[in-house]
Amino acid sequence: MNLRRYGAPGIWLAFVALCIFIISRSVFNTDMSAFMPRSPTPTQQIMVEQMRDGVVSRLILAGIDGAPAPALAQISKAMAARLRGDGEFVAVNNGERVGLEKDFELLWRNRYVLSDAVTPQRFTAQGLHDSLSAYLELLGTPMSAMAQRVLPDDPSGELIHLLEQVEGQAHPAIRDDVWFSRDGSRAMLLVQTKGSGSDIDAQEHAMQHIQAAFDEAEKRSKTAHARVQMTGPGVFAVQSRASIRDDAWRLSLIATLLVATMLLLLYRSPRVLALGLFPVASGALAGIAAVSVGFGSVHGITLGFGVTLIGESVDYAIYLFTQVGEHDTPQSTLRRIWPTLRLGVLTSVCGFSAMLFSGFTGLAQLGLFSIAGLLAAVSTTRWVLPNLLPVGFSVHASPRLGAAVISVVRHAPRARIALAVLVLAALTLLFVKRDSLWNDSLSGMSPLSEQLQTLDQQLRDDMGAPDVRYMLILHADDQESVLRQGEEVAATLRLQVQAGALEGFDVPLLPSHRVQLARQAALPDAAALSTNLRLALRDLPFRSTTFAAFPQQFALAKQQAPLDRAALQGSNLGLKLDTLLLHRDSGWVLMLPLRGVRDGGRIERGIRNSTGTAFILLDMKRESEQMFHDYRREASRYALLGAFAIVALLFISLRSVRRVFDVCLPLVAAVIIVTAGLMLTGHALSIFHLIGLLLVVAVGSNYALFFDHRCVSPRDRERTMASLLFANASTVLGFGLLSFSQSPVLNAIGSTVAAGAVLSLIFSAILIVERKG
Amino acid sequence: MMLRTLIFLLLCLPPLCRAETPTWGVAQLMQGLAQTKTAQATFTERKFLSVLSRPLESSGTLLFQAPGHLEKHTLKPKMESLVLDQGVLTIDSKARNIKRTLVLQEYPSVWAFVESIRSTLAGDLPTLERFYQTELEGDAAYWKLRLSPLEPRTREVLREIRISGRGNRVDSIETLEPNGDHALMEMTEDAP
Repeated sequence: MNLRRYGAPGIWLAFVALCIFIISRSVFNTDMSAFMPRSPTPTQQIMVEQMRDGVVSRLILAGIDGAPAPALAQISKAMAARLRGDGEFVAVNNGERVGLEKDFELLWRNRYVLSDAVTPQRFTAQGLHDSLSAYLELLGTPMSAMAQRVLPDDPSGELIHLLEQVEGQAHPAIRDDVWFSRDGSRAMLLVQTKGSGSDIDAQEHAMQHIQAAFDEAEKRSKTAHARVQMTGPGVFAVQSRASIRDDAWRLSLIATLLVATMLLLLYRSPRVLALGLFPVASGALAGIAAVSVGFGSVHGITLGFGVTLIGESVDYAIYLFTQVGEHDTPQSTLRRIWPTLRLGVLTSVCGFSAMLFSGFTGLAQLGLFSIAGLLAAVSTTRWVLPNLLPVGFSVHASPRLGAAVISVVRHAPRARIALAVLVLAALTLLFVKRDSLWNDSLSGMSPLSEQLQTLDQQLRDDMGAPDVRYMLILHADDQESVLRQGEEVAATLRLQVQAGALEGFDVPLLPSHRVQLARQAALPDAAALSTNLRLALRDLPFRSTTFAAFPQQFALAKQQAPLDRAALQGSNLGLKLDTLLLHRDSGWVLMLPLRGVRDGGRIERGIRNSTGTAFILLDMKRESEQMFHDYRREASRYALLGAFAIVALLFISLRSVRRVFDVCLPLVAAVIIVTAGLMLTGHALSIFHLIGLLLVVAVGSNYALFFDHRCVSPRDRERTMASLLFANASTVLGFGLLSFSQSPVLNAIGSTVAAGAVLSLIFSAILIVERKG
Repeated sequence: MMLRTLIFLLLCLPPLCRAETPTWGVAQLMQGLAQTKTAQATFTERKFLSVLSRPLESSGTLLFQAPGHLEKHTLKPKMESLVLDQGVLTIDSKARNIKRTLVLQEYPSVWAFVESIRSTLAGDLPTLERFYQTELEGDAAYWKLRLSPLEPRTREVLREIRISGRGNRVDSIETLEPNGDHALMEMTEDAP
C-alpha cells in the first residue's frame, strides 16, 4: 500500500530531478536559426548570416534630443569620447573629425593607386595643364588654404578627387562639429558593437553602456531634459525580448492570480491548488529536457511557445479535481474519465507530431516539446496527483450552477441552424479574401510596437541612412578574384546609376592588384613627368620652384608596393572594408550594398549581359518574407497532416463515423469562425495565429470528447459539464489577458486561443448530443 | 511747479550730454553697419600667393542682403560665382561646369573666413566675436577693424583679417596668412 501510495510520486520526483539536471546543462539560443530551413539555399545562408552577425546587425543608432544644440553637441562629444575607450564597441562615430588622421594618411600615400582618375592622359602636358587650371580656380575661393597645402605634391589633384568621392556620400548635417538631424533638434551617434547582433545579452550590455555614457555626459552638461533614444537590429532584439518578457510576466501574473482565485474558491484548499500546477510544470520540464536531448540545443521560440502549446495540461487537473464526487475517490474518478482524457491527450499528440517532420528546426522542436510535455503532464495527472490529494477531497460546486449548465446544454442544439448560417457566412468571407489571408511581411512578424518602428524610421531619415535592402553578393576562391569581379560589376552598376535603375552603391576602397598595377603603369617616369609639367606650367602663373620636389616623389609612388588589406587595418576605411569583404571557409565574399534600387530586375539583367560573373542580388526584404512564408506554409501543411492523423486516431478509438463527425465538427466550426473573425478585425494571419489555432484544436478536442463522453448518471453529466466550464474559464482568462499585450506575437496567440476556446465549448454544446447509456 | 520741472530737466541732462559725444567702439560700428539691409558693389581682388609667380587678379560684383545672403560674382578672368545662403556656400564655376556645395559648419576654417565678411556686413557682432578677437582703430569717419582668429585650427591657415571702411561702408578686406600669403579685396559701393 505504501509502495503504491509513494511509489509513483517517488518515480515522478526522480524524473523531475533528471529533467532539471538535463536543463541545467542545456544550450539555449535565440538567433534566426529556428526560422531557417534545415537545407537553406546559398542566398538564405548569406542573408541569415548577415542578420545574425553581419555588420548591419551590429549597428546601433543613437539620437540625443531635448536640449539646445550646443548642449547636445557637448553631450555627444563626451559620450563618444567615453565609448571610444570602451571594449564593447568596434567603432564610434558622431561626425567629429577624430581618428581620421590614419585615413587621410592612407589616401594621401596611396593616392595614385586609389584614384580612378589615374590614366596615362592625366599626366600628359595637356592633362596636367587642366588639373593645374582647376587648382588656380580653387586658389581664388575660400578653399584656397586647403588647395595650397596639397598642390606642390599633387598637381594632378588625386587627393581632391578622392576626397570628393568620400565626402560626396550621404551623411547627416553637422553642427558644432557633430552629426545632427536636419532640423538641428537631435544629435546623432552611430556605433558598431563588438558582440554580434543576435547575441541579445551582448546587445543589451552595449545599450546599457551607451545609456551610462549618456547619463554621465548629461550630468556634466547640466541639462535636465535631454534624453537618448536608440535603434538598430540589436536594439530591436533587446526591446522585443524585454517587451515580451515584461508583458508575459505581467499578464501571466494577473492571469495566474485570477485563475488561482477562481480555483481556490472551487477547491477550498491551497494544497489542491498547488497540486493543480504539477502537470503543467512537469510537462514544461519534460518538454525542454526532451528538446535539449533530441536537438542538442533549445531555441528561445520553442521555450516561449512550447509552454503555450501545452497550456491544455492546466485543464487536466481541473478535469480530475472537479469531477471527484462526494462518494468518489480520486482513483475511481480517474478510472471513469481516463479513457476520455487519454484520447484527448493522444489527439493533441497526434496533431503536434506532424510538426516533428518539419524541415524547419523551430517547428520540429515545438513538435517534440509538445509531445513530451503533454505525455509527462497527463502521466503526472494519472499516477501522481490522485495519491497526493487530501483524503475525502471533493468539490462542492453549487448545484444551481450544475443545473443551469445542464439546462443551457439541453437547449443549445436549437442554435444549430444559426451556427450553420454563421459558418457558411464565414466560409464565404474566407473564400472572398483568400488572397489576403496570410501576412508574411516582416513588419507583421515583428514583435515590435509601431511606435518603435516609427522611431527607427525617424532616426534613419535623420542619419540619411536608408535601411539596407538590396545587396549584390560576389563569391570567389581568393581575394584578388573577388575584387576583380567587384570592379567589373561596379562598372556596369555605374551605367545603371546613370540610367536611373538605382541611386548609388558602396564599393570597397581597396582596388584589386591588377587595377593598382595598371594605374602605376599609367604613371610616366620622372623625366617624362618633369618635361610634361614644365610644358603645362608655361602659360600658368605658378612658381616653378613650387613643384621642385614633386618628380622625385612621383617616381617613388610608381615603385610603391601595392596596397593590401593589412595596411588598412586600424583605420575607418579598413573598418568599412571589413564589412564589405569577408573571408569564409569556402572562399571570399564581396558585398556591394545598393541604395535606392528602383528596378532590381533591370540591374540583374544588366550585370548578366555585360559580365560573365556569377552573382546574387539579395533582396533582404523579399528573401526574409519568402523564408517566413515557407515556414508558415510548411507549418500549415503539417497542421493539416496533423488534422488527418487526429481524424484517423478518432476513427480507431471511437469506431463510429457519426461520433468522429460529431467531435470534429465543433472544432472545424470554431477554427473557421475565429479565422473569419480575425480577418474581419483587420488581422491577416501570421505563424503566431496558426500556433494559436493549433492550440484551439488541442484544447477544443478535449471539450468535444467530454461532451461525447458517456456519463453514468445525470449527476456525473452535471459534474463533467461544470468541469469543462471551469477549464474553459481558466483558458479564457489566461489567454484573454495575453490579447491585451502590446506585442503583436502575444496578442495574436492570446486573442486566437481565447476566442477559439470559448467557441469550441459553445459549438460542442450545440453540435454534440448526449448519448444515453 | 516750475521748480519741480527744472529739477526734472536737470536730472535728465547728464545722459543727454553723453549722447551728444558718444564713445565710438566696435558695438557702435556694428550698429551702424547693421543699418544697411542691401548693398551692391564692384570689387577687385589681388591675391599674393607664394606658389604663384604673379598675383592672382580678379574682379566682379558683390551683392549683400542682410543678414545672411551674400553673392560674389567673378567676371574676370573667368566667370565664377560664390553664393552664400543660410550657411551653405555654393561655388559655381561656369567655365568648367563644376558646382560644389559646402555646408559651412562642416569646414570650420572656411566658415571662419566667410563669417569675417558676412558678419561685418551684417553688423553681427556676436557671431564675429565667436570666431575672432576684434581690435578697432580710427574713428567713425575712417576705421580699421583687425580680426584675429580664436580657433587654433583656423590660425594655422589664417593670421589676420583687416577690414577698413568709412562710416557704414566697407572699403577693403585684407587677408594675411601665416606663410606670408596675402590678399586684398577693394570694393566700391554702387549708388543705391
